Amino acid sequence: MEFLVKYFGLLLGGFITTVEVTMFGVLVGLALGILLAIGDIYGGRIVSTIIRFYVEFFRGSPIIIQLFIFYFTIPDLFHTLIDPFVVGLLVFSLNSAAYQKGYIKGAMEAVYEDQMTAALSIGLSKAKAIFYVILPQALRLVIPAWGNEFCSLTKSTSALLVIGVRDFTSAAKTIAGQTWRNLETYTFTAIIYLIWISAVMKISDIVYEKVKIPGIEIST
Amino acid sequence: MARHMGEQKKETVGTVERKMTDIVMECRNLSKIYGKIIAVKDVSLKIGEGEIKLIFGPSGSGKSTFLRCLAMLIKPTKGEVFLRGECLTKSGVDLNKARARIGFVFQHIWLFHHLTALGNVELALRRVLKLPKKEARERAMQALREVKMEKWAHHYPAQLSGGQQQRVGIARALARNPDIILLDEPTSALDPELTGEVIDTLRDLAKKGTTMLIVSHEMPFAREVADEMIFFDEGAIVETEPPEIFFTNPRSERAKIFMARLIKRTRRE
Repeated sequence: MEFLVKYFGLLLGGFITTVEVTMFGVLVGLALGILLAIGDIYGGRIVSTIIRFYVEFFRGSPIIIQLFIFYFTIPDLFHTLIDPFVVGLLVFSLNSAAYQKGYIKGAMEAVYEDQMTAALSIGLSKAKAIFYVILPQALRLVIPAWGNEFCSLTKSTSALLVIGVRDFTSAAKTIAGQTWRNLETYTFTAIIYLIWISAVMKISDIVYEKVKIPGIEIST
Repeated sequence: MARHMGEQKKETVGTVERKMTDIVMECRNLSKIYGKIIAVKDVSLKIGEGEIKLIFGPSGSGKSTFLRCLAMLIKPTKGEVFLRGECLTKSGVDLNKARARIGFVFQHIWLFHHLTALGNVELALRRVLKLPKKEARERAMQALREVKMEKWAHHYPAQLSGGQQQRVGIARALARNPDIILLDEPTSALDPELTGEVIDTLRDLAKKGTTMLIVSHEMPFAREVADEMIFFDEGAIVETEPPEIFFTNPRSERAKIFMARLIKRTRRE
C-alpha cells in the first residue's frame, strides 16, 4: 500500500475538492431551495412557472450536460472564460437547489395550513409567519432528506472531470491508471467514501435528534 | 388596555349610558359566498365594551366562517367590519395591524408546535408589538398566570393535555391585550372531562370584563356569562335574546327545536 503514500497529495487534493464542492453545493442549495420553495408556494402563477422550468431543467438533464453548458456554452456567448472550479461550485449549487426545493416545499406543505392561519391570527405578516412559524418546523422535517442529498452530491462530484476538475474518484482513477493497482486503489477510495459519508450521516442524525420538537416523533 | 377599560366600565355601569364609542366591534350586512354556496348571509352585529355574546346553532351553519370574517382571516364577500369605529373592510387597511388587535381562539387550538407554551404566547409580543425581550417575557408569563398555566410555561404543546393546550391558546390570544377575543368552539374538540378547566378560564376572563364573542354550545356556561345569545342557522342570525328567554321561551320555531335538543343532550351528560 505504500504507493498510496506517494500519491497522497493527489488523493487528498481530490478529496478536498469533493468535500468543498459538496459542502458549498448543499449549503447554497439549501438557501436557494428555501427561496424557490417559498416562491413556488406563495409567489403566484408566473413565479411558480419560472421556478418549475428551473427545477425541470436541473432535475431533467444530466449534470455533465449542465457542467458543459455553464463551462462552454454560456461563457462562449459572452466571449469569456470562467474558472472550472467556480463553474463546479455554481452548477452543484443550482442543481442541489432544484432537488432541495422539492424536499422543502413538501415539508412546508406538511406544516399544515392551520399553522399559517394561527400565525396570521396573532397579527404576524405572511413573511414573518413563514420565517417564525412555517420554516422552523419545515426545516426540521427536511433534515433526513438533506442527509440523502449530501450523500448523492458527494458521489456525483466525479462528473467534474469533464471540465478538468479532479475530485476524489478522478484522483483514484488517475492513480490506478498510473500504477495498475486497481484493487488496492479503489478499495481504499471506497473505504474513505464510506467513512466520510457515515460520519456526515451520523452528524445529520445527531442534529435531527437535537432539534426535534419534543413530544413529536417522526418515523424516518 | 381594553381589559383595563373593561374593568373601569364595570364600576360605572348603570350610571353611565353606553355611547356609540363603546361599541368595540361591529359588522354590517356581512356576507361570505363561495361560488354558489352562501356561507354567511347578510349578518349585522354589535358588541359593546365588556360585553359577552354567544353564538350557537347547528354545525355547518356558517358560525366559524362568520367569526373568521370578523377576524379578517377570511375576506368577506360583502359588508363591512368595524373595530372601534375603524372600518377594516375597505381597501388599504393594514390587516396585520387589525388582526393584532383581535384575539382568536381556534376550535382545534393550533398552537405553534415548535414553541413552548411561553414561546407561543411571546411570539406576537416580540414580533408584532416588538416589545423588548424582558417585557415580552413578563407579559407572556402574566398571560399564562391568568390561565393558570405558568407552571407549564416551558412545556411544548405535544407535552400538554388538550385542555392545557387550549388554555395556552387563550393566553396567546389575550397576551397582547386585544380589543376583543373571538372564540370558535373553544371546548368542542376536547374530551368532556377537559372542557371544565377551559370553561373555568373563560369564566375568569368574563369576570374581568373581557369583551368576547364566543361560538359555543356549553349551555350552563352561556346562561351564566352571556349578555346575549345569538341563534345562527343557514348563515344568518335567526334570533337574538338574553339567555333566559332562550332557555324558557325562544320565539323562533327553529331555535325552539334546537334548544330542546341541546337541553336534552346536556341533561344526559
